[in-house]
Amino acid sequence: MRGTLLLARAEISRLRRNRRYMISTLAFPIVLYLLIGKSAKGTAFYGVEFAAYYMVAMATLGSFSGALTNNAIRIAQERKEGWVRQLRLTPLPPNAYVVAKVIAAMAITVPSVVIVLLLGRFYGGVHLGATWEWFAIAAVVWIGAMTFTALAIAIGYRLPPDQVQPVAMLLFFVFLILGGIFFPLKGFLGSIGNFTPTYEAVKIAIDVIAGAAVPAGLIAGLVIWLAIFSGLAWFSVRATAETV
Amino acid sequence: MSHSGTGPVVSFENVSKHYGSLKAVDGLSLDLRAGETVALLGPNGAGKSTSLDMLLALRKPTSGKIQMFGSDPYHAVKSGRVGAMLQSGGLMPEVTVIELVTLVTGLQPRPVPVATTMRRAGIESIADQRVDRLSGGQTQRVRFALAIVGECDLIVLDEPTTGMDVETRRRFWASMKEEVAQGKTLLFATHYLEEADETADRILVINRGRLLADGTPEDIKKRAGAKRMSFRLENVNEPFLLGLPGVTSLDVRGNVVHIQTMDSDATLYGLIDGGYRPREIEVGSLGLEQAFLAITAEDDRAGDTAGAPQEVPQS
Repeated sequence: MRGTLLLARAEISRLRRNRRYMISTLAFPIVLYLLIGKSAKGTAFYGVEFAAYYMVAMATLGSFSGALTNNAIRIAQERKEGWVRQLRLTPLPPNAYVVAKVIAAMAITVPSVVIVLLLGRFYGGVHLGATWEWFAIAAVVWIGAMTFTALAIAIGYRLPPDQVQPVAMLLFFVFLILGGIFFPLKGFLGSIGNFTPTYEAVKIAIDVIAGAAVPAGLIAGLVIWLAIFSGLAWFSVRATAETV
Repeated sequence: MSHSGTGPVVSFENVSKHYGSLKAVDGLSLDLRAGETVALLGPNGAGKSTSLDMLLALRKPTSGKIQMFGSDPYHAVKSGRVGAMLQSGGLMPEVTVIELVTLVTGLQPRPVPVATTMRRAGIESIADQRVDRLSGGQTQRVRFALAIVGECDLIVLDEPTTGMDVETRRRFWASMKEEVAQGKTLLFATHYLEEADETADRILVINRGRLLADGTPEDIKKRAGAKRMSFRLENVNEPFLLGLPGVTSLDVRGNVVHIQTMDSDATLYGLIDGGYRPREIEVGSLGLEQAFLAITAEDDRAGDTAGAPQEVPQS
């Protein structure tokens, strides 16, 4: 485990230097919140004030983006360039690379979640009933992003780097739009969107804010997505066991 | 210690790797003993990389058994007793050279001090450069560093000097000899024949997935029709020259004759007994390159006509 943690630490320190990661995970949600967070004052979305809805949406955008797009591209590149192979020649256990990626993804999505929630509180003027609610919505958005970490591993281990980028971006935007991250959907698309992990994470957090009981179906939905993507990731990793 | 064990460091027992109908490795058997420096020599596609991949537990043999330090390859690799540098091995991008070396050193059960590794690999001057901004030769040296970050007993290198200039290559083998002097066993694949000749005390020639020859560089040269002769001769009679004892090949350019022969003395006596008076006679050994080409060409011809793989006696 010590080796795996060393690898995770190295992953985290190199991500902090990566400009693309910084823009997509940190700058993008922060700038959007600053631009739009206060624009629709007095409008309610999903039964809460717009500033609160948009705070949750942007925190989800940041953490899900940090979990998916960069990770998937990096995994595909590092496989192609042989870093994954090189690691197999070290005493590290065989799952160390994947475990380190999950740990690193969880660590690097923390800042964007924390910063966006702080913006919501002090810039957007969002007030919650109790302090624990802040921690609860941070945890939902943060842990919900694990579904996309698993998806990143599934794609990154399956596709070559030049295909990973468009596929990851496409999936990402489909899940963002269907999940109501940019604007809540109604009608047919909305009812499809209700089954996305992005929607489920946002809606759970918003139900917490609204003081409503969180439907068990939403939580079960996130768990099912996590199971599906983890299963796909497991198959992808296994399929490459000989070629790395 | 690497010398204390009596069993072989590495053993392949009738190992094959098939991809569909392609036999990348075909019934390979060999033993490596502690402290040896062994070159795995063969043309592209001979099965060198596949053999090393199987040795390092990156691929599973279709049949046969590989052992390293008396255990299976996977556990030998995970115990940190093997340092390896593969052609296909890559580096973690976006970190500096010293960060990478420090990281991989930290994964070893018996780490070598980072400063020592940096010096041995000759990468102290690029310690703070980013790994993804190095030249080809610098990258090779960093990859070599990753192979020697632990106190290992066996070093495995797959075409280690590809992309290095002459000077870097010379320095590389100098630092490699330091490692071997500590009693480590070294196995390297190469298609640079002079490297095998100068560095290895044993050469394994493989072609089409099979072991063709196993011996010292001198043995290998002998195996391929030992000597080359040249002389000047007027009125050359080619059929007569080809019929001389020991001759395996003949090349005539004007009045200059080049002969490859298994027995240069017999060839020369036969020539003189035939009434010829050759001038400017030179007799020399075949270079390893000609020996290697002769051995693999012979094997390719045999493969083309016989189809089925034949038993090749090991010297």
